[in-house]
Amino acid sequence: MAKPKVASDWLCSCAGCHMSLLDIDDRIVKLVELVDLRSTPITDLKHPDESGVDVGILEGGINNTYNEEVAKMMRKRAKILIALGDCAVFGGVPAMRNLFTIDETLQRAYVDTESTDSNGLIPNSPELATMTRVRALQEVVPVDIFIPGCPPDADIIFYALSELAQGRIPELKNENLMWN
Amino acid sequence: MKYYRSMVLISNDPQSMVQGAQEIFDCIKAEVKKHNLEDEISIAMASDISRMDISPVVIVYPEAVVYGPVKVEDVPFLVEEHLYKGRIATRLQAPKKALSGPIAWLSTREGSLPAEQRIVLERAGIIDPESIDDYIIHEGYRALGKVLSEMKPADVIATIKESGLRGRGGAGFPTGTKWGFVAGAKGDKKYVVCNADESEPGTFKDRLILEGDPHSIIEALIIASYAVGADEGYIYVRGEYELAQSRLKAAIQQAKEYGILGKNIFGSNHSFELHVHAGAGAYICGEETALLESIEGKRGEPRPRPPYPTTEGLWGKPTLINNVETLANIPAIIRHGAKWFRSFGTPSSPGTKVYTILGNVNKTGLVEVPMGITLREVISIYAKGMKNGISFKLAQTGGSSGSIIPASLQDTPMDYDSYSKAGVSLGSGALLICNEEICVVDLAKVLMKFFKFESCGKCNPCRIGNIRALQTLDRISEGLGTEADIETLQMISKNLYEMSNCGLGQTSGAPLRDIINHFRAEVDAHIKLKVCPAGICAMSGQSNLYNN
Amino acid sequence: MVNVTIDDKKVEVPAGTTVLNAARKAGVEIPTLCDHPQLTPYGGCRLCLVEVEGARTLQPSCTMPVSDNMVVHTDTPKTREARKFVLSMIFSERNHFCPYCQVSGGDCELQNAAYAEDMTHWPLQPNWQPYPVDASHPFIIIENNRCILCRRCVRACGELVGNFTLGIEERGSNSKLIADLGTPLGESSCIGCGTCVQVCPTGAMIDRWSAYQGRETEVETTKTTCVGCSVGCGLDVLTRDNRLVRIEGDWDVEANKGLLCEVGRFDPMEEDRERILTPMVRKDGALKAATWDDAYEAIASKLGEKKSIAGFISTRLPIESMYFFKQLFKDGLKAKTTTIVNGNSKSTMNLAAEAFLAATYDDVKNADCVVVVDEDITKEHQVISFFVKRNLPNGSKLITVTNGEDGLDTFAHVTIKNDDLCEGIKSIENQAKAVEILKASDSIVIIFGGHAAECSDCSKVLIDLAKKYHAKLFNTYDGANGKAAAIFGLVEKVDLKNADAAYIALGDEKVSQTFMKSLENIPFMVVQSSFNSSLTAKADVVLPAFTWLEQDGHYMNLDGKLTSAKAALNAPEDVAGNTAILKNIADKLGVKVTEDWQAAIQ
Repeated sequence: MAKPKVASDWLCSCAGCHMSLLDIDDRIVKLVELVDLRSTPITDLKHPDESGVDVGILEGGINNTYNEEVAKMMRKRAKILIALGDCAVFGGVPAMRNLFTIDETLQRAYVDTESTDSNGLIPNSPELATMTRVRALQEVVPVDIFIPGCPPDADIIFYALSELAQGRIPELKNENLMWN
Repeated sequence: MKYYRSMVLISNDPQSMVQGAQEIFDCIKAEVKKHNLEDEISIAMASDISRMDISPVVIVYPEAVVYGPVKVEDVPFLVEEHLYKGRIATRLQAPKKALSGPIAWLSTREGSLPAEQRIVLERAGIIDPESIDDYIIHEGYRALGKVLSEMKPADVIATIKESGLRGRGGAGFPTGTKWGFVAGAKGDKKYVVCNADESEPGTFKDRLILEGDPHSIIEALIIASYAVGADEGYIYVRGEYELAQSRLKAAIQQAKEYGILGKNIFGSNHSFELHVHAGAGAYICGEETALLESIEGKRGEPRPRPPYPTTEGLWGKPTLINNVETLANIPAIIRHGAKWFRSFGTPSSPGTKVYTILGNVNKTGLVEVPMGITLREVISIYAKGMKNGISFKLAQTGGSSGSIIPASLQDTPMDYDSYSKAGVSLGSGALLICNEEICVVDLAKVLMKFFKFESCGKCNPCRIGNIRALQTLDRISEGLGTEADIETLQMISKNLYEMSNCGLGQTSGAPLRDIINHFRAEVDAHIKLKVCPAGICAMSGQSNLYNN
Repeated sequence: MVNVTIDDKKVEVPAGTTVLNAARKAGVEIPTLCDHPQLTPYGGCRLCLVEVEGARTLQPSCTMPVSDNMVVHTDTPKTREARKFVLSMIFSERNHFCPYCQVSGGDCELQNAAYAEDMTHWPLQPNWQPYPVDASHPFIIIENNRCILCRRCVRACGELVGNFTLGIEERGSNSKLIADLGTPLGESSCIGCGTCVQVCPTGAMIDRWSAYQGRETEVETTKTTCVGCSVGCGLDVLTRDNRLVRIEGDWDVEANKGLLCEVGRFDPMEEDRERILTPMVRKDGALKAATWDDAYEAIASKLGEKKSIAGFISTRLPIESMYFFKQLFKDGLKAKTTTIVNGNSKSTMNLAAEAFLAATYDDVKNADCVVVVDEDITKEHQVISFFVKRNLPNGSKLITVTNGEDGLDTFAHVTIKNDDLCEGIKSIENQAKAVEILKASDSIVIIFGGHAAECSDCSKVLIDLAKKYHAKLFNTYDGANGKAAAIFGLVEKVDLKNADAAYIALGDEKVSQTFMKSLENIPFMVVQSSFNSSLTAKADVVLPAFTWLEQDGHYMNLDGKLTSAKAALNAPEDVAGNTAILKNIADKLGVKVTEDWQAAIQ
């Protein structure tokens, strides 16, 4: 049997979940033996193979139109899509922005913030992706597996990936579910 | 007591008052006095006649001539012509064609409608509601006299049981059985409560009874208190029904003066105190246990059941709670007997039912008809057909918490059993009749908005489920719906029924279930084609309801 | 008794038991959120829904009474789906993002319930409607974003405390927890007892001092007794690394059943006095650090030769300390002894009054009429006032007799104000309404304290009144061990004018200005204290002692029951226990003392 192809990407998040992925330490060697790691945000290949991958992992919520594109592309190309971490599962910290309007948020981030001098300017280049309400991944594309946590425990990520590598759908329950 | 040759009624709904009904009242009084007719003619303000098109209205009995709109300048002519000379002042008469306002009784008096049968509305609109004498002339308090002098409490309950009367508040519980529960409950004190918190949108049958015939409710409550052994009672009147409240209070005062309320009624051993309690505008307080909490001065939230109010009700005492319309049947049943009552309606649901007809029909209004007529009959006979000939699509029964009845069910007899077999409910008697031009998603949205606002917030499924359902419907109506949304709606609807504490929560999911069951294609069109077939939904691609 | 079958387990329970309690008896676990053992079942959260055979819909087990031969299933696909639905709904209602919450990680009943149902996510998105945080109260924070509207706090505030401060505003999805009519909690009628914080299942009500300082799994819990007043409330003291984190009421203690007042729950958190870490002896007019031996030597040499010694002991000290104190000073050195709260003003306390008319806590809790005489129980014995206040909505009556302002004035049915208390008590019988209430009541309790407890005339009037109306008397002794002190006779009149020495076993009690002033001219003064104060500054010998949280011991509550205190914290090095200090001094002075306090207290 060919090794399952795995691709990952991050959206509106802090990259912490990918750091937690790296926290599986030397087990990553074992994992690489089991899976064919394709595109990730920290390797050279940035987009999942057009021919499709078996497992797609997305970290982070959907924050702008670019995120939407990435999520839709990953969904299209991956057989199984994993929402990794609280931001992908629920929206997480960035989703707290939804309490304000986008204009207010931009104003705060680019003009009113304490570290900005009087010349603060909201970027308005047409090439930039448009900001949207922050949404959880499943609000934009269907998700197969949810791994919550901020960040999810390295052991749980390893458990989920190794189960998938061995052709099983990981069951997240009981002690595997605790996140702090 | 005095007898009058004629009775004049002047409408005193807010609009009529603005248009000078009070001046007209005063002016008629003065004119009558001028002609020395005070002893022959009784003048009264009548309840809201809801004839906005011709207000202020003056009605002269016994001819039942309707004048309107009447101006103060017209009064001397009217009094002189009709009351002094005895000729109908045709110049001022309301146009015959306009006699199709929300209240149908003005024209149904002619008896043109085949099945119209009056038991609970037999006096409404005929007597002066502020006169106990008028009530007594029309057979009033005769049932009470019979009960107190000839019957034992058990006999009364047996008669009611035999009559097969079922609660008209919506659930259709057998009234006699309920009375039996309270009579059998142990307690040093018992209460009877009349639920007059009629707050289902589009229902106004109780209001007409309370405003037009308040003494019938008082009489029924005294009979009920005698039957179950209670000595205190409450009438919980919807806060907005100010006229009903003032009429009830006046009626209670009169009854006290006549020795009908108070200690040792009619010289018997039975004593009864009656209070009027005004609601404060919460729909949920029409739910019987929330109503009890409200009377006790607490937040109107339904209690868990069991214990049922029949064993632990008001202040923990056994309490009988009946709807106004249910009670209004009691004196007639006592007077004429159970067999007479069973001659109306169907075997499982005897008697009559008052319906309020609303919506896209030619004639909206109120009718009292025997149980078991069909929706098609109601539409074609009483409502005079669909407006502009646009075909019938669905009916929403019983205000918000009833069912959506598709055209396929319009030949089902309207009684409790037939409807529950068909999986729908009759509810309180409001019939909102909708034509093909309405959109079911939009209708469900309106209903869910109502429930979202009126849920008491006690239990989670109802408090959160309704707003989630509203948001989902809003997304569908804005063209953002997905296939999963149908599943969400079905899940919410099912769980609302299974898990809610009270009737409001349990029925609030019904519109969701009904539109999916009966109008799936229309809902699918919103989701898959992003089209509203009726052209009602905005389909703007933007949901603005998400954050409230 | 009725027979019920729950998940195929048969169990026999008394009629009227709820399904939930029957299930617990049968050993079947049903998850709950709005239910709390001390509160009336509410049936709001719908998490405890079960399938009852024959019922049309799912039934809430917390409110559903059992009936004979009832068959209940708690773990079916239907109930599991219902629980998941409820939890999804609650999580989607407000901001329930666990990682940022004080109770996350084991203390949150909502989170734990979700774990138990193996929820990885919830299918509906949160509402994102922000709610304000009310941090206006000195101790309590209301975080509405975490609130699940279970109304535990509302019920606790009304049913247990009788204060009715918390409530719900609006209805339906606009429901929100508020204080009074929407005033900030800090400006509301809240009395800061913190019961709401203790019952809150989520992080919606948290206390300012202990938030984010340790979850239940990270702290040590010590069961001990509060020494704030004489009620003797049971406490769970939560500590972490020898640091006080939080104080909670112990639900299992009969006296308070988990209730505490501001004094018991929050005041110890604010302790900021400077600790005494070493014994000190006055040399050449200045207090100098000394060894324990030096200090004991100084005391023994000076105290032995004094003729007229005045002894003061704090009622916050355990019975063990008190017994040694009695043997050493009252019996051994023939000193005049009293308690510090008593000062030197009070002399008599009518013990005879109680012997046959004494009321217990249960009497107070179940009384249908309470007469409170010269005692603001809302300040001095707050938990007792909860017992009284919470019965008022159920029709119990309240009469107060005072000579000034009283916290119960607004609650009382009859208030009598008279500068002469004896007259005031007598005038109860002149008030028609009061007499009417007394005559109509079956179980009357007269709570008295202050002047009424000392004045023999007042006592006499009270006893007569009690006999006439078959009432019971309830004396609220001042101070935690006030009753024990009275039994030991440590409530004498102390003549400070002629005293040539004073021994003050202060412990961690705060001293009043008047008390300090009265001690100004004493030639030789020993103070045994935990904290520096102007009193220790004047002392000739200062002995560093444990605080109440550092010592073991026993207390006697107003019911006459012994309660035990356990050390929750370790004292600093070189600080000694109050009991040990008194024992050592007795040994030094050659006064023979025994440890058999149990016999002496009977």
